[in-house]
Amino acid sequence: MKPGSGHLPCKAPLSASRVALVSAGLILILFVTILFSLWMGTADVSMGQLLNLFSGGMEAGDTTRLIVLKIRLPRVLLAGLAGFCLALGGVVFQAILGNPLADPFILGVSSGSALGAVAGIMLGLGFTVGVPLASFGGALLSIALLMAVGTRAMGMESSTILLTGVIINAFFSAVIMFFIATAADDRLHTMLFWLYGDLSQSRMSQSFIVAPAALAAFGILYGYAGHLNLVTAGEDAALQLGVDTQRLKLVCLVLVSLIIGVVVSFSGIIGFVGLMVPHLCRMAFGSDHRMLMPVSALSGAIFLILADTLSRTIISPSELPVGVITAFLGAPFFIYLLRKRGSRWNGS
Amino acid sequence: MERVLKLEGVGFRYDRLWALRGVDLEVCPGELVGILGPNGSGKSTLLKVADGICIPQKGKVLLGGRPLSGRGRRDVARQVAMVAQENHFRFSFSVMEVVLMGRFAHLGRFHFERPGDVRVAWEALEATRSSELASRSIHELSGGEKQRVLIARALAQEPRVVLLDEPTSFLDLRFKKEIFELVSSLARHKALGVVVVSHDIDLSANYCDRILLLREGRVFAEGPPADVITPGNVEAVYECPVVVDSNPATGAPRVSVL
Repeated sequence: MKPGSGHLPCKAPLSASRVALVSAGLILILFVTILFSLWMGTADVSMGQLLNLFSGGMEAGDTTRLIVLKIRLPRVLLAGLAGFCLALGGVVFQAILGNPLADPFILGVSSGSALGAVAGIMLGLGFTVGVPLASFGGALLSIALLMAVGTRAMGMESSTILLTGVIINAFFSAVIMFFIATAADDRLHTMLFWLYGDLSQSRMSQSFIVAPAALAAFGILYGYAGHLNLVTAGEDAALQLGVDTQRLKLVCLVLVSLIIGVVVSFSGIIGFVGLMVPHLCRMAFGSDHRMLMPVSALSGAIFLILADTLSRTIISPSELPVGVITAFLGAPFFIYLLRKRGSRWNGS
Repeated sequence: MERVLKLEGVGFRYDRLWALRGVDLEVCPGELVGILGPNGSGKSTLLKVADGICIPQKGKVLLGGRPLSGRGRRDVARQVAMVAQENHFRFSFSVMEVVLMGRFAHLGRFHFERPGDVRVAWEALEATRSSELASRSIHELSGGEKQRVLIARALAQEPRVVLLDEPTSFLDLRFKKEIFELVSSLARHKALGVVVVSHDIDLSANYCDRILLLREGRVFAEGPPADVITPGNVEAVYECPVVVDSNPATGAPRVSVL
C-alpha cells in the first residue's frame, strides 16, 4: 500500500490515548489494591465497615475508623508512594546507564541516602525536614561518587558503573553499621530501621511531603520520556538525533536522587523494587518510555502496597520489614536476569 | 552555488593530539562527497565535527550558511543526520520505532508522533526499500538491512546533509553496491548534501562526485575521483605501492594493491 492512498499503512506505534487508557486501568487497580490492604490486617475490619467509613457513615471515635485511617492508611499511602518512586527511579537509571540491572538500590543511591539519614539522626536533626534533607544529600553524594569513579574520559561504561555502585553500596552499608555500633541505645532502633526498609513508622505527614515531590518529579521526567528512548539507542546516536545528553543525565540523576532520598529517609532501604517492576513492565508493554514510565511507576506502587500488606500479615500479629519481602522476591529474580541476559540486554 | 555544509580551516584535538589540522570542505545540495584516507587520518573526526558532536578548537563549521557553534542539538538534528559506524540497541525496538526516532527533533512537548511524522518515516522506509521490515525487531535484521534502516532513520530527520561513517564496512559485495547506489540516488533526488567516509576506494571513486583524501588530519588531495585517485596520491597517503587503471564498465579509477 502506498502512502497517500487514504490511510497510512503503518500507524504510530504509540499514541497518547493508549498511554492514558493503560494508565487509567492501572490507577483503578491501584485503588482496589489500596482498599484491599486497608481491609487486610491483624484487627478484623469487614468490607462493609470499610465502605461505611468511606461513605461517611462512621462516627469519629470508632475504633475501626481509628485503625483504618490513623494506622493503616498512612502506611498504605507511603508504601504506594515509595513503590512509585523506586520503580520510576529504576526505569530512568536503566535508560541513562543503558543497563537493565541498574536500580537505585544496586547503584548504592539508597544506601547513600540511608547513610545521610543516619548521619542526620546522629546530629540530632528533625525528622520532618532535617533528616530528609540529609538523606537527599547522601543520595547526591553517592551519585557524584558513581559518576566520578565509574566514568572515564571516553564515556560511561555500564559495567564499570554497576560495579562502582556495588562497591559504594557495600562501603556505605559498612559506614552505617559503624554508626549503629557506636550509637547510643535510644537511637539504635531508629537507625537499624533504615537498613531493612520498614514502613511501620509511617505517618500521614510523610506522604504529604513525598507525594508532591514524586508527582513533580514524574511530571518533569515524563517530559524526557522521548529523550530516554533515544539514549537507549546509544549516547552518540541520541546526540545526533537531537538530545542534549549531558543535560538529560544531569536532570535525571538529580531528580531521581531527590525522590529516592526523600523516600529512603521515611522508609529505609527497600531493595529490588526498582529492578523487578520496570523489567516486568518492559516485558509486558515494550521499551517505549512514554508508556514504560507511567506503567512502571503505578505498578511499583501496587507492588509495594501488596508487599507491605504481606509483611504485616504473614506472621501476624508480628511484622516483617517490607525490605525482607522485596529481597526474598528480588534476589532470585536478579539471579534469573543475570543467567538469562548476562549483564547486557539484547532485547526480548 | 549554495553550500549546505562548509568547514573552514577546522582544527580539532583530542587531549594533545591534533586529529584535524586545518581542513576545508564544502558540500553542495545533491552532491556526494567521499572521504578517503588511512586509519587515524581523521575521517570519523571530520564527520563528528560536521555534526557538532566534536567542537573544533580552530576554524569554523557553517550549516546552511549559519555557524554551527552554539546551536542546540534539536536545531542541528533538523539540518544534519549521521549514520554512525556502530549502532547498538540495548532494548528491543521495532524498525518503525527506530525510524521514528529520526523524527525526535521535529516533535512537540511530550514527543508523541503525529500522522505526518509517521508518513515521513514511512516514506523514508520506502526510499531505502525497507518498508517490508517495518514491524520487525531491529535485533533480527541482517547487516545490510540494518544499514538501510539506519539510513531511513537519517532521512526521517529531513536533514539537508547526511553523513555516513563507513556504511559498507561489514557488508558483502552486493550490499556495498546497494548502499552506494542508494546514497547516490538519494543525494540526487532529494537534493541532499551527502558525505561518505569509506575504506572502499573503488566504490567511492565509482559513485562520488568528489573525493577528499586525508592524511594525518590534513587534506592531501581534493577533486573529481579521476584527479584524486592517482598512483602518486594513493601511494603517498596509504604508504603502499599500487597500480591504478580504470574500471572497464564505468571508467572510474580502480586501485590494485601490488
